Amino acid sequence: MSLCVSPPQSFLIVCDPATSQPGLLVVSAGEEQEGVLDYHIQTTGTAFRLSESRLSFPDLAQLVFFYSLTRDVLPGCLTVPRWIYSVTAKNREHLSRLQPEAWLSTPPDLQADAMTQRELSNVVCSIQLTSANGALCIINPLYIHDHGDDWLTHRATAPTQLSGSHRQRFGNRPVMDTGMASKRPVSLNQELPVRENSGLVRATSADSPQSASGGVVLRRLSSASGSYHRASADSLPPSTPSTPQALSSSASDLQSPGSQAPPSPHRVSWIEDGVWLPPPRPSSLLPPPSLELDTLSISSIEEEQESGTSNINPHVPSTQSLASKVVHRLSVVGQALGGLVCQKKRLTNRVQELSRRRAEPFSEAVKEFVEVTLRSGANHNGALEFLQGVRSSLTSLRETLLESQEVQALLDSITDISDPEIDTLIELSLHKVALKPVSAHLNSCIHASRTSDGTVRELQSNMRVLEKKGIKELGGSADVGVPDAVTLERIQQRWTSLHEAYSPNKKVHILLKVCKSIYHSMSANATSGSVHGADDFLPCLTWVLLRSDAVTLQIDTDYMMELLDPTQLQGEGGYYLTTLYASLYYISSFQPRLAARQLSVEAQESLNQWHRRRTLYCNRSRRSPHRQTIRKPGPISRMKAGTKGEHGAKPSEQEPGCQGTSCVQDSKGKSGLEEVAEAPSLGREPGRKEEVLAQSSETERVVKEEDSTEIPEKERENKEEVLAQSSETELGGEVRGVRQNCRAEER
Amino acid sequence: LDMALRELKVCLLGETGVGKSSIVWRFVEDSFDPNINPTIGASFMTKTVQYQNELHKFLIWDTAGQERFRALAPMYYRGSAAAIIVYDITKEESFQTLKNWVKELRQHGPPNIVVAIAGNKCDLSDAREVSEKDAKDYADSIHAIFVETSAKNAININEVFIEISKRIPAVDVVGATAARGFKLGRQASESHRTCC
Repeated sequence: MSLCVSPPQSFLIVCDPATSQPGLLVVSAGEEQEGVLDYHIQTTGTAFRLSESRLSFPDLAQLVFFYSLTRDVLPGCLTVPRWIYSVTAKNREHLSRLQPEAWLSTPPDLQADAMTQRELSNVVCSIQLTSANGALCIINPLYIHDHGDDWLTHRATAPTQLSGSHRQRFGNRPVMDTGMASKRPVSLNQELPVRENSGLVRATSADSPQSASGGVVLRRLSSASGSYHRASADSLPPSTPSTPQALSSSASDLQSPGSQAPPSPHRVSWIEDGVWLPPPRPSSLLPPPSLELDTLSISSIEEEQESGTSNINPHVPSTQSLASKVVHRLSVVGQALGGLVCQKKRLTNRVQELSRRRAEPFSEAVKEFVEVTLRSGANHNGALEFLQGVRSSLTSLRETLLESQEVQALLDSITDISDPEIDTLIELSLHKVALKPVSAHLNSCIHASRTSDGTVRELQSNMRVLEKKGIKELGGSADVGVPDAVTLERIQQRWTSLHEAYSPNKKVHILLKVCKSIYHSMSANATSGSVHGADDFLPCLTWVLLRSDAVTLQIDTDYMMELLDPTQLQGEGGYYLTTLYASLYYISSFQPRLAARQLSVEAQESLNQWHRRRTLYCNRSRRSPHRQTIRKPGPISRMKAGTKGEHGAKPSEQEPGCQGTSCVQDSKGKSGLEEVAEAPSLGREPGRKEEVLAQSSETERVVKEEDSTEIPEKERENKEEVLAQSSETELGGEVRGVRQNCRAEER
Repeated sequence: LDMALRELKVCLLGETGVGKSSIVWRFVEDSFDPNINPTIGASFMTKTVQYQNELHKFLIWDTAGQERFRALAPMYYRGSAAAIIVYDITKEESFQTLKNWVKELRQHGPPNIVVAIAGNKCDLSDAREVSEKDAKDYADSIHAIFVETSAKNAININEVFIEISKRIPAVDVVGATAARGFKLGRQASESHRTCC
């Protein structure tokens, strides 16, 4: 049959007789294969797509046009018959009378016109949609129409090739209109030419609406001589009617003998150069999209464009993920067009403006906050409490900000941004005006505090011990990969920028990037394809930290933990921040026993306070009911208490730290953490245990009742007595034995 | 039709190698689209499922199961609405470890935390070391959810989470109305802000 002998990628569209909707795209596989390939066209509502693909199109013409430029799931791009480009007002009425076979070869009526086209060269689509270095660039076809598009495709190595090209403008529905449908299917096994009166409904130009919206600029370039045939811009009607049921192409002259040079590619920016088009071809100056960011999702952390890598290796074939790239690209466009960027910018600018305005409550509050913060922090032992104070000030600054009429009005005008996103935006704006001026001061406070409590020393000395250990000795499975030297170098750079960022959100964002590249190394260098969870990630992160500036990271971790908006802490950022904290904790508490204990006190203290803050402030956060998470207040106080058990080395340190709820303790946790940490597999006498439990739950009730209130000195002492007792009961000689065993394992 | 969205933090505990991350992966897999829901790695994953008239978004926190990291676990399980403790039915020892986790959670975990016990690798019943009945009896004695799972063969994975959803206490009436509808007007949310 005709299609089989037609050039490769000639095609027909066959309608489903039941629905009168286009149902099948039949593509010729070329003469060698002697066959046709069927692709089902799915119609969902008003969208058309091939069932193999995820790309949908508003009409069939766009689908066809797209697949004539990009193969996506097809074996090759669809070939649109060349004569279609020579259709003029004069001969367009012929189109409506064409039979299916005409689409597979050049119809006689049009032959002459086609001949006059002389060297009809290959068509290059130069709609460019690119995002170079993160900047989205959409090029208006009209601009290209007026100014040419040489600048777009300028090629350093072949600058003359495209100069002086002429353009021809087409409607974006050059070949068909889906408004008309066949009443009867065309069987591909039938001899198409003999079905003269098959009863196919014929499309007439009158039926098809003029829909010349959105032009596509096609450039023809004669690769042979450099002389271009110029077709008049109106040589083609805006909407070219066609027989909808049978669209095919002849394109027999695609590789016509007269054509000396290899065919130029059809190109859309994301299939530029080297993906499935034959080399050798000069590369475009536009970077390929394969290394692009996907930053649409909050939790999405992709690698940034890095000029170094993208330039070195711009021709990575990535055909597999083309569909997703297209989807991504479209969503980028959608977002850009949605004007969200603009709204966000407006909000940030307004907040800054407010912070500078005189006699504005918010600006007064910011000013006071900065002054007070810069004056405070002299007490180095209390850096974490100090940071909590900063966090609560930030939260009240946010309240002040939200009370501003202007901000209210602005927020009400923003409709397209989700509430959590708005919260994040507000928070980020706040960081800029309030945290930025004080961040260096906060860092030095934390550093002083961590130095005086011994963490810095512990980290430094334990790192020397641990850094010799391989990933397996750190607990990772044998097949897990670790970052190579290059990746490690990049991670170091990221740690540096993490340290330099003043916004805790931004820091977490960078942390997530680091975690992502660690994950990448884990599986890239791994031997098996198993799923890597925390069992492997924690050792790998530890391995990386042992090769990083852990002291600075400890400071950054404290900064993030204390200053991050509490609502962020249950998500991905919170998870990896916890893991960073845990890993640093593992390193700093690793060896010398006594030091480890003291550190444990400090570390747990910080954790508890962190958690306390979370529970204290998260409910106050704006619209918090919407993301209500089941949070239980219990473990906070218990964990906290756990740090002050029998080993709670320095009683003097307990007092200053106790302010408000932070001094709430209960007996249960007093020895708890220590015990958990040291003697996890301990089996106790059942009776004894119950007694202890009863005791502790009673204390807990008291604690709950008195949460958020100052506990009198006397009462606290009583509690500590109880604690001491319960610690005693839980730590018999047997326990100590188990502990030592556990330690032995560490060594 | 707005549904209340509840974020439920779920932590995964259990000895290393019992298949904690495989279970999560299996649970999340069918909804996992790297383009739509990119996550950094399998140690933190999310999945939203509908339960009655609520949407439950599980925030799944995996923990390192090695003994040496044991002391770090409280950082992970605090604030959890549920814990899935996993053991390997072909390793008796992993079941003993599980019992210790249960004890620890009972003592130091969040009060009312929903505990689910998953006996993983039930496809390897030839090498079974922990009988289903023993495990079930134990789970009943501590009022925990119990299922034998196979991450490999996708057996009972969703069930674990469905059971967790069932056991999560319903939001109180005030909370439920506050949580309904993400598109509450700003004025409305103002008033909610102070009420907590």
